Amino acid sequence: MELIMSKKYKTSLIISFLLMVIALILWAVQIHYGLILTNLSNLFSWGFYISGLAFFVGNAAGGLVLSASIYMLGLKELKAFARLGALSAFACVTGAMLIVLPDIGQPLRLLNLLLHPQFLSPLIWDVIVLNCYTLLTLTYFYILILPDLTGKLSFLAPKKISDPKAFSEKWARRLSPLALFSAASIHIVTAWIFSTQGSREWWFTAILAPDFLSVAVFAGTTVVLLASALLYGTGEEHTAAYKIMVKIILGALILHLFFMYNEIFIKSWYHAESALHVLKILFQDYLWLHLIEVIFPVVAVYLLFKESVLQSQKKLVATTILLLLGVFAHRYLLMPGAYNAVPLSFLPLGQQAIGPAWSYPIALGRSAANGDLFSAHWAYYPSLVEVGIFIGICAYVFFFIACVCKLLPVLTPTAAAAATTTTTTTTITKSAQ
Amino acid sequence: MRRGWVIDLEKCIGCRSCMVACKQHNAGPRGTWWNRVFTPGSSEHMIPSPQGKEYFLPVTCQHCKNAPCVRACPVDATYHQSDNSVLIDYDRCIGCRCCVTACPYGVRQFNWEDPEKIHAREEQSVPDYRYGYPREFYKDGRLVYMPVRYKGITEKCHFCVHYQEEGLDPACVRCCPGNARYVGDLDDPMSEVSRLIRDRDGFTLIPEKGTDPSCYYLPPKRKNSIEDGAEEGAENGANHE
Ligand code: SF4
Ligand code: SF4
Repeated sequence: MELIMSKKYKTSLIISFLLMVIALILWAVQIHYGLILTNLSNLFSWGFYISGLAFFVGNAAGGLVLSASIYMLGLKELKAFARLGALSAFACVTGAMLIVLPDIGQPLRLLNLLLHPQFLSPLIWDVIVLNCYTLLTLTYFYILILPDLTGKLSFLAPKKISDPKAFSEKWARRLSPLALFSAASIHIVTAWIFSTQGSREWWFTAILAPDFLSVAVFAGTTVVLLASALLYGTGEEHTAAYKIMVKIILGALILHLFFMYNEIFIKSWYHAESALHVLKILFQDYLWLHLIEVIFPVVAVYLLFKESVLQSQKKLVATTILLLLGVFAHRYLLMPGAYNAVPLSFLPLGQQAIGPAWSYPIALGRSAANGDLFSAHWAYYPSLVEVGIFIGICAYVFFFIACVCKLLPVLTPTAAAAATTTTTTTTITKSAQ
Repeated sequence: MRRGWVIDLEKCIGCRSCMVACKQHNAGPRGTWWNRVFTPGSSEHMIPSPQGKEYFLPVTCQHCKNAPCVRACPVDATYHQSDNSVLIDYDRCIGCRCCVTACPYGVRQFNWEDPEKIHAREEQSVPDYRYGYPREFYKDGRLVYMPVRYKGITEKCHFCVHYQEEGLDPACVRCCPGNARYVGDLDDPMSEVSRLIRDRDGFTLIPEKGTDPSCYYLPPKRKNSIEDGAEEGAENGANHE
């Protein structure tokens, strides 16, 4: 918590601001030259940006998990973190919308989404639910901080409410089912963008939406844990709450691993060539990344159960980042299995008895490194522009949360947590006013 | 009316004239091919795979009746015309590439950079010369063909919609030296295309994807015959001729 006043805090704000500026410049350059600056091709048409969409949407679940735990499961210990949860949800969901922008070939035509929506398209549904969720988290956040909008901030508080505390409590409770519903909807609908793609064996499965939900629960909670570690620190008074979060993370991670391996198991059991092709991509071409997507989160959760980690800010931050890296690896792996298994694959006439299936080469739209204009395989890796823009969005999420924490009473513990208020908190409260 | 193709694989000699004609007539930018011809089973066109027999398979947009690209497009830029052909409104497309991912046939082509920039860069290109149908073409008020494409939009075969009003068949049909391509109304059981599909066991590509393509293929005759013994087929597949 001391962090918010420290030099470190200021430098990290400056660095993240610079990273945002760099990303903005990169996007401008990319608009000028076109998406040729990515390493995508007609064969592999979505990459880092869309992985980023799935990543940030998942991370935005923190607010839901906390509000549901507090108001539906009665976990009072988490109450002090509800504001941070709502704030991180807002930052992540806006980050998710931002990272789609550079993936759009004609960003100036985005208005077409409003003017000519085509309601069978899951992308339209996603635009709708992401925007609703953004509004809702904003409202939710406002209601949560309402009781502390006093002093200099009182201009933000509505005049008519006589007892803001009771009002905030009442409406936070009332809105929490709606928040839960809309938070679930963003993960489900984002999953549908992929799982409705019948041409892609890797995505075309009913397990994808439940899996997105489970990933969201543990990724979103991890983001709140990371933000809390950074902003609240790791004082004794928080350990109880952190432990609950770790339990939520563990539960959701187990569910996710079950969903994922359940799908892989069924695919491999039936042994159809098309499914084996997809699994080959995962377990041969990308085995190292698959190991990361599994081992990082598992190790991280194991570490999170250690007192020593929960009590050291450095260790806690490092561990949560390790977990999020695993989540990103998982999101990244959405792509190769979908694209490098060309859907137009079949046994050539007259070869049905001999096999194997043959994939029809696709015109790449750009020349491959080896000069090929047609190929059934595209060794995708993100370009520096893609990575730079992605890092810029991560920086935005950090910057936004850190700034709002400074300007608004996010970190002021109320009610349940008030008992554990330490001297440092009081200092912060004073300085914030 | 459902406009459809029939491609006779018995007659296709793999010359790729249709590929070139398509690109020529439709001003395909470098690297962009609406129409492709390959030799199934082989990584090199015209070189049969060691185990297989040689035949050639042209693939372009199948103008699917149940088109996943149309469902996936968020702004109705990709749409079905009254004759069931699938067109793209180049003024509407936002370049999200949902359709590129949705199409199982790999026919959708994205403009990763400004085609004019490629043109200026190309050593061989004559500065002011552009090949292809030179005018923009609007159908029902929508821009379905333009000689110089915007960057950042998706394009693909439009069934030569710009020639339909002149009563001309698509460029690939007209140019085929083997007369392997037919175009007509699949809804009319008496049309030539329907008759060919009926009489010659017309089939579609990857029907398991459920796209209901409007492009049918007629199998090469020799592949239809199993006189040389179905039982030994498996072992002798490589050399039975
Ligand atoms: S072949 Fe592809 S682009 Fe053409 S209609 Fe079918 S899904 Fe759409
Ligand atoms: S790239 Fe264009 S045509 Fe394709 S889905 Fe997006 S807006 Fe529609």
